[in-house]
Amino acid sequence: MSNIDNIEPPIIKDEVGTLHPINQVKDFLLNMLADLGFQEVDGPEIESEEFNFDMLNIKKSHPARQMHDTFYVENKSHVLRTHTSPVQIRSMLQSNPPFAFTSAGKVYRKDDDATHLPMFHQVEGIYVDTDVTFANLKDLIHQILHNLFGKDVKIRFRPSYFPFTEPSAEVDILSKNGKWLEILGCGIVNPIVLKNCNIDTEKYSGLAFGLGVERIAMLKYGVSDIREFYKSNLDFLGQFK
Amino acid sequence: MKFIYQDLLNFLAEKPSKDLLSEKLFQLGHEHEIDGDIFDMELTPNRGDCLSLNGIARDLNVFFGNTEAFKVYEGNIDQLNLNFKNLSPEACPAIHFLEIEIEGNVNAYKPYLANYFSLLSNNKTNFFTDVSNYISYELGQPTHCFEADSINNQLIFENRNCNEAFKSLLGADINLLGNNCVFSVNNKIISLAGVMGGQSTACSVNTKKALVECAFFKPESIIGKSVAYNLTSDAAHKFERGVDTQAQEIVLRRFIEIIKDHAVIKNIKIQSFEDHQVQKNSIPIDVKRINKILGTNIEEKEYLTYLSKLDFGIENEIIVPSHRHDISTQNDLAEEIARITGYNNIESKPLKIKKNDRGTDKVNTLKNYLIKNGFSEVINFPFIKKEERKSISIDNPLDSNRNYLRTSLKDSLLDNLLYNERRQKDSIKFFEVSDLYSKDDQIRQEKKLGIIMSGRRGQNYLDFSKKLDNTYLSELLNNDSESIVFKIDEISRAGLKSKKNDKIFYTEISVDKIPENIFNDIESSFETTNFIKYQPVSEFPSSTKDFSFSIKDFNKYDTVIDHLSKLNDKYLKDAYIFDFYENKKFNEIKVGVRFVFQSSSATLSEEEVHKSVNKLLKPIIDLEGVSVPGM
Repeated sequence: MSNIDNIEPPIIKDEVGTLHPINQVKDFLLNMLADLGFQEVDGPEIESEEFNFDMLNIKKSHPARQMHDTFYVENKSHVLRTHTSPVQIRSMLQSNPPFAFTSAGKVYRKDDDATHLPMFHQVEGIYVDTDVTFANLKDLIHQILHNLFGKDVKIRFRPSYFPFTEPSAEVDILSKNGKWLEILGCGIVNPIVLKNCNIDTEKYSGLAFGLGVERIAMLKYGVSDIREFYKSNLDFLGQFK
Repeated sequence: MKFIYQDLLNFLAEKPSKDLLSEKLFQLGHEHEIDGDIFDMELTPNRGDCLSLNGIARDLNVFFGNTEAFKVYEGNIDQLNLNFKNLSPEACPAIHFLEIEIEGNVNAYKPYLANYFSLLSNNKTNFFTDVSNYISYELGQPTHCFEADSINNQLIFENRNCNEAFKSLLGADINLLGNNCVFSVNNKIISLAGVMGGQSTACSVNTKKALVECAFFKPESIIGKSVAYNLTSDAAHKFERGVDTQAQEIVLRRFIEIIKDHAVIKNIKIQSFEDHQVQKNSIPIDVKRINKILGTNIEEKEYLTYLSKLDFGIENEIIVPSHRHDISTQNDLAEEIARITGYNNIESKPLKIKKNDRGTDKVNTLKNYLIKNGFSEVINFPFIKKEERKSISIDNPLDSNRNYLRTSLKDSLLDNLLYNERRQKDSIKFFEVSDLYSKDDQIRQEKKLGIIMSGRRGQNYLDFSKKLDNTYLSELLNNDSESIVFKIDEISRAGLKSKKNDKIFYTEISVDKIPENIFNDIESSFETTNFIKYQPVSEFPSSTKDFSFSIKDFNKYDTVIDHLSKLNDKYLKDAYIFDFYENKKFNEIKVGVRFVFQSSSATLSEEEVHKSVNKLLKPIIDLEGVSVPGM
């Protein structure tokens, strides 16, 4: 290669950008749930109290409905949805069982400190069919967590409370340092919710679950400060190519 | 709620170790942390009945049995003739009053009472209030002690529409507004019912005669008040979650017993005001239904045994105990059985749902196209300070800077761009896709795509000296279309807090207005997520060094390029070839390289950068026929 004419200029690498890490995790979860049979549904972020609370058996006196927990807009005519469950309510009202829906997107709570943000993301799923049991729910949750954290992950179910599921559970995984980490909430859909959606509860039952996308992203990527996701720092975002 | 391990053991027939107790508490759904002998419980909001030693012990009965741990006064008590009127029985269906007078000094607190203050770091106030606080810890029922002689006229309870000042017993001045459940004397509010008493009628260390109020306030009549008035109130916490509807008299008898443990009682009188019929909450016995919900095969006998150990009555139906406000359906009972048998002991049963195809998505196609061309996605909060045309107002914003919802992505993306310019970024390409909301006659939703860019076109020798401009973005976005789909604007830097001169270009479009067939050759699905382990972003400035290599021995060219592709130094954050030039006149190749150095823990000194530079350059400039002019 002694001749300058034989020199090949340096290869130019494609300078690609990046999908936001929260959307990467959300997309990962939605793909996984599609493989498990769930169909994605979408809905508004500004909701009525009826769909955000009443239809989900969240009573008027529930603390979550207080002004210090929920954002109200336009003279209290609507709320910023506090979860993606109202999307499922809207979908259930338009469908006949059996069905399996996932809803994913931004949700809002009136919180803003080092560990809580006023906006974050959820992925939720609901499956309604004949004879859906808590034992089925456990199987599904195991599949989800094995996909996320590997087959060897140790899983613990704990009783919990959500107005829209009964029985309700929170699910933990055992971390490498020996501590249990809360990963998701789930349960058997409260028959009151199914009745609200005109579903015959003598014939049908359902299971439901919800994951916080930021929480999964923090665990999977090792991000310790949730606020990093929303600084739009190229040095941060560039790591997730 | 915190409790002392030994205190709980007094309520249990068996004496489990802390580890076993912890395991069973988790099984029952009672999260907690343990610090020495203190269990710090985080109970779910439906289990107000467990906010006491007695309540937790009731739940543990099925595993460890329980004892008659607390003695109550069993003697006769005279009738009190209190001048009291309950104007809002719907908010307070049951209320009991105990008038108790002591004589002489109060003895030193017995260990059970003393430990409550010393081991749980509770502050002592005065004898009667101390007993009241302890009772709440032990039995979960809040009581309130008035200085008896301060109630000098008719005592009234009512849900009153207020606009008046109230001084709490802790000295806080509060302006009560709207409907509040209150006690009043002579029309003056003396207590915010179920939350906190007032200073004017509070007991003191000199109190010898107290009027103890013990009520069942409905949760909905108390909820939100402590937060609204910024009062930390254990009583409100318990009433909001629901106390036992039937426990008031036994609680007052326990109150008397504790007083008797510490002082000579001169007089006791009691009076009850109840406005409700005791209604038994019952649920049909249907173990098949329970098994259908859980996917289990529990026998009826076993099922009923579990429930009876949880204080459920077993008659022709299952009778729900008066402290369990959370139980009314078969699903509630199924959860009880699952808790007792253990969620983790219920065997999983396979669930088969037909696989679903996510299909294609125009938004994902757009995102993939932009990412492929160097744009990074951002996600911004929707809250803004300034009202825009048709913007939606937030009734209870976090602060006055976040009063409205944005109707455009522009300001957020501009903030993102300027933030990165301040962090020494000279080539910035961002996009965001978000639903935006506005109002006219109704609330409207529109999904929009915003794209912003400024600075160098790229970090390579072809694009380094070129700037991102309208032509670049238009060719990128509009070339596939027969007409201009994306309208591109330049954003003026006038008024922006920025020292940069590069032009800023922006486009925003409703996703619905983007043709369906645009960017047809781009994948809709994203590449499989690679869960990298993220490195914290440095908050310290970077240092940039440029070098130009002169290569006269072309046989060394490949070696130089190979070295440059494998650079490694603890401070080297980025390196790229920004210039490549074949100087045929001087028979020389010029390769310009930019190094960017940054430390995660400090601002780098010139010496540290120099040391890294020398280390990186040495293997290259040691090559015969390769030099860096000026070095």
